[in-house]
Amino acid sequence: MSLKRGQQSEANIPTASMADIAFLLIIFFMLTISFEVDKTSVDLPETAIRLEIPKKAAYVSVTESGDIRVSDGEATSSLVPGPEDVLSFAAEVIASNPDKEFVLKADRTVPYETVDRVVDALKQAKARVIYLLSQQETIEGQGA
Amino acid sequence: MRFSKKDVSDEIPTSSMADIAFLLIIYFMITTTFAATRGLDFALPKEDDSPPQVEKEDSVLIEIQRGGQLVVDTTPMKLDEVLEYLKPKLERNPKKPVIIRPSQDSEYGYMVDVFDELRQAEDKIGLPVQNISIPTQREVEQFWF
Repeated sequence: MSLKRGQQSEANIPTASMADIAFLLIIFFMLTISFEVDKTSVDLPETAIRLEIPKKAAYVSVTESGDIRVSDGEATSSLVPGPEDVLSFAAEVIASNPDKEFVLKADRTVPYETVDRVVDALKQAKARVIYLLSQQETIEGQGA
Repeated sequence: MRFSKKDVSDEIPTSSMADIAFLLIIYFMITTTFAATRGLDFALPKEDDSPPQVEKEDSVLIEIQRGGQLVVDTTPMKLDEVLEYLKPKLERNPKKPVIIRPSQDSEYGYMVDVFDELRQAEDKIGLPVQNISIPTQREVEQFWF
């Protein structure tokens, strides 16, 4: 029996829809991206209760060494000399938007005195809500 | 003179489109930060609110010492005992004020632990702690002494 050699077909991968898929992914990432205003790396305290923090909230970050950085939620955070300077920053933010939320991003080992003075500055500036940024408490962490 | 006639394709070259698109995807994937955007909220009294009339004696005072040890109304206590201690008091008065007073040289993390524990009261003992306050040092000096 003689087999007839079929028509030679070109080996093609259909790539026409690849671009469509890729653009869909791009749109997804473009919509979900939120540029971090504060890139300070801190060891956050762990909590079981964690509520979503509104976007564009103002940030006050306190690192382990006591450096304080502030951001109004739009611009990248900048270093301020001490807790006293948080008051003028917060007053400025509150003046432009009285309902602005503040996020306190402090390292868990920071002496409470520093946090106390930052919170006091925010209270004096009449901040409405302060969020204490935290990470998820793990099961192992609960016993500690 | 003779022109050589070449076939010109009438298609738009889309083969590199996917490459460009994937480059953009990679850019967005790298710049996307899975940042921690959750935390505990800590509502401050509004400007027009009259300052809460809290008598020191009426409230439960949770002091946090330097090493994280807790002293609740002058009794040393562990963190998981605090809610059990509060339960009968909250049953009598659901608005019982609870004051957290971390020592100035203790760590911030301990304060968050206690605050988190109190916020979980509804899940753990079935009663929420409605009135939690964490006065700052200045407020303590101003109003208590």
